[in-house]
Amino acid sequence: MAYENLAFLIPLLPALAFAITFFVGKKTPYGGGLIPIFAIAASFLISLMITIGLLQNPDQVISQSYHWFAIFNLGILIDPLAAVMLTMVAFVSLLIHIYSVGYMSHDPAKSRYFAETSLFTASMLSLVLSDNILQLFISWELVGLCSYLLIGFWYQKPSAASAAKKAFLTTRVGDVMFLAGIIVLFADLFKLVNGSIPDGVYLLRFDEIFSYIPEIAAMNATILGFEVSHLTIITLLFFGGAVGKSGQFPLHVWLPDAMEGPTTVSALIHAATMVTAGVYLVARTFPMFIAAPQSLIIVAYVGAFTALFAATMGLVMNDLKRVLAYSTISQLGYMMLGLGMGAVVGAEAVGVSIFHLISHAFFKALLFLCAGSVIHAVGTHDMRELGGVAKVMPITAATMVAASLALAGFGIPGTSIGSTGFFSKDPIIENAYLFGEHAGNWFPYLFAIVAALLTSLYIFRLLFMTFAGKPRTNYGGHESPASMTVPLSILGILALFFGAIVVEPLNKFVSGTFVNNFVNMDIPALAEVGNYELVHHAGHEPLLIQWMPVIVAIIGLLITFVIYYQKAIDMSRFVSKDNVVYKLLYNRYYQNEIFTRLFAVRFVYEGLAMAGYHIDRFIDGIVNVISYLTIEAGDSFRKIQTGVIQHYSVAVITGVSLLVILIKLVMEVF
Amino acid sequence: MIPLNWYLALSAIIFSIGLYGFISQKNGIRILMCVELMLNSANINLVAFSSYNDDMSGQVFALFSIALAAAEAAIGFAIMMSIYRMRDAINLDELNLLRW
Repeated sequence: MAYENLAFLIPLLPALAFAITFFVGKKTPYGGGLIPIFAIAASFLISLMITIGLLQNPDQVISQSYHWFAIFNLGILIDPLAAVMLTMVAFVSLLIHIYSVGYMSHDPAKSRYFAETSLFTASMLSLVLSDNILQLFISWELVGLCSYLLIGFWYQKPSAASAAKKAFLTTRVGDVMFLAGIIVLFADLFKLVNGSIPDGVYLLRFDEIFSYIPEIAAMNATILGFEVSHLTIITLLFFGGAVGKSGQFPLHVWLPDAMEGPTTVSALIHAATMVTAGVYLVARTFPMFIAAPQSLIIVAYVGAFTALFAATMGLVMNDLKRVLAYSTISQLGYMMLGLGMGAVVGAEAVGVSIFHLISHAFFKALLFLCAGSVIHAVGTHDMRELGGVAKVMPITAATMVAASLALAGFGIPGTSIGSTGFFSKDPIIENAYLFGEHAGNWFPYLFAIVAALLTSLYIFRLLFMTFAGKPRTNYGGHESPASMTVPLSILGILALFFGAIVVEPLNKFVSGTFVNNFVNMDIPALAEVGNYELVHHAGHEPLLIQWMPVIVAIIGLLITFVIYYQKAIDMSRFVSKDNVVYKLLYNRYYQNEIFTRLFAVRFVYEGLAMAGYHIDRFIDGIVNVISYLTIEAGDSFRKIQTGVIQHYSVAVITGVSLLVILIKLVMEVF
Repeated sequence: MIPLNWYLALSAIIFSIGLYGFISQKNGIRILMCVELMLNSANINLVAFSSYNDDMSGQVFALFSIALAAAEAAIGFAIMMSIYRMRDAINLDELNLLRW
């Protein structure tokens, strides 16, 4: 078990690579690509070794803690949840870095690109393995910063610059809520230990936080006349942070615009890793959520609604990357829904949701990289200008089909045949069914199943429009170089076969993340604190329910096949400015307009302008009075300076004489 | 032996002459000369006290002071020279470039 001593290197190596690449990147091979690749490869190997070690001995998690300052610590916690996340992040990041060598080969600023992506990888890895919520928050902000930098990578483009700003500001709303949650939590913990903290106890470490859950749940506050538990407030604030970071409704607006960055960035940050930070946060603090009445249900509702809401918009987008962006939002919704279903299945929900996170990372990174391959070769990402790409780029097309099958969730229930997406999405939908059966509330299930149909519709629409049929415009094109197709193929194989092999052990592994030598949580008891009743997931739902996700996926495939391949129905009748539904979807429910016109312009901009005007007048007044007094004083006093040297000497001599007289007088007195 | 008071009186008279000249004159050269007078009156004091107290350090101090005065005079006259070349006058009343 020598590997656990190397755990601190996991985030440190990419951070070091960032420093080197940032300063001398242009002089290193492949425009600075090589050092980050080796650093991340090393991180990946260490994480993999640690994960394998943990798999054999899941109770002995790695937990190292170092004093930082005052009552805070820096620490490493690698439990099953963190281990699989670490391995996934490092692995996807490694593949994308290799792919980037080819994809970014023409970009003059590629050393900056590699520096920023390795900084991102470092902060994401440190986010995953922090053992206290403060360190997690710091990494969380760093990740947000990298996202900002990389969205605005082509800062010469005004649209990229404004997209970067939008992403930063929107996620900031969530970040502030997260910070507020941490502050409330810390205040409560401080009160619970009566203000005296024993040496060596760090209140914000997860094990300490979790040990106080029942006490925090018992603290009540009254907000707007409602009696709310402090735990509910804290968890909702945490979830607010997750909503911002993971692009949940209503803070999802930044994610589609984030596609202004290089496609590899979209794949790395806005599909596979950073946006899952919110999901990870909820999973990490899951014991708090399950003990908080209402919070978990809100997580489930927001997740389910987002899954459906984003999928409808994905249907009408014409931009390759935007379809994938909405697809990401929708899948993140599924993950949140999966966590919310902890209300009925307990800690198992964490396993299910994290497994979907991992499988999503594989197939969504793959989808983006395929799209990047197409864009790199063809030079456009408008699907209306494409078509028939499969003939030019067979490897890309094949991997894209694999990724689409995984996203739509094709597989045969009851057997071990199926794509990774099938094994990860099905349990979420089944849990939603269990929730409906148990709580008599069918909305999450309904949303999830309709979203599954829409998922299949939009992804096969994309597939048929881009890769099948005849080219709609003249574009030159060629298959991408090996540095791009090799990562594609690896991800393609993972997207198809990974799930079938690991689904059972991985779910069990991650679900056990709260029972080990670091924390030992009694999840059912906590659920009772939150007034939830857990049922054991038995897997004997009606056959129709088990088949339902696959059936809707096939229906979606058939519909798109008929419309976009055989062209049996003329879509131009529906796709027009006269169709109200189309217009609503195409304009993204006018949410941007509502946010900008009503909120940003009317409220923030004009409000700020008004407030700014009055504050300005007040401060201006003070400043003006001071400057007026100074000018006037100077004006009258400057007459003293005659410029005649004798006047000065008289003044000096008079002064000296007076001084002498004074000293004489003083000496006589004493 | 001449009493100490006489030296001090001489020094005071020379200092007053220098001071009067410094205040009343407008010619730069004269002013510099008056400054020299004041400096040297102080030197007389130093030497007088040195002799009176039988302590050599006063005379050493006077030597330093004379050396400094020489340097100061050299710089002062050099400045006056360049002012004269530039402005064709060494009347200090007319040198009011930095005045308001």
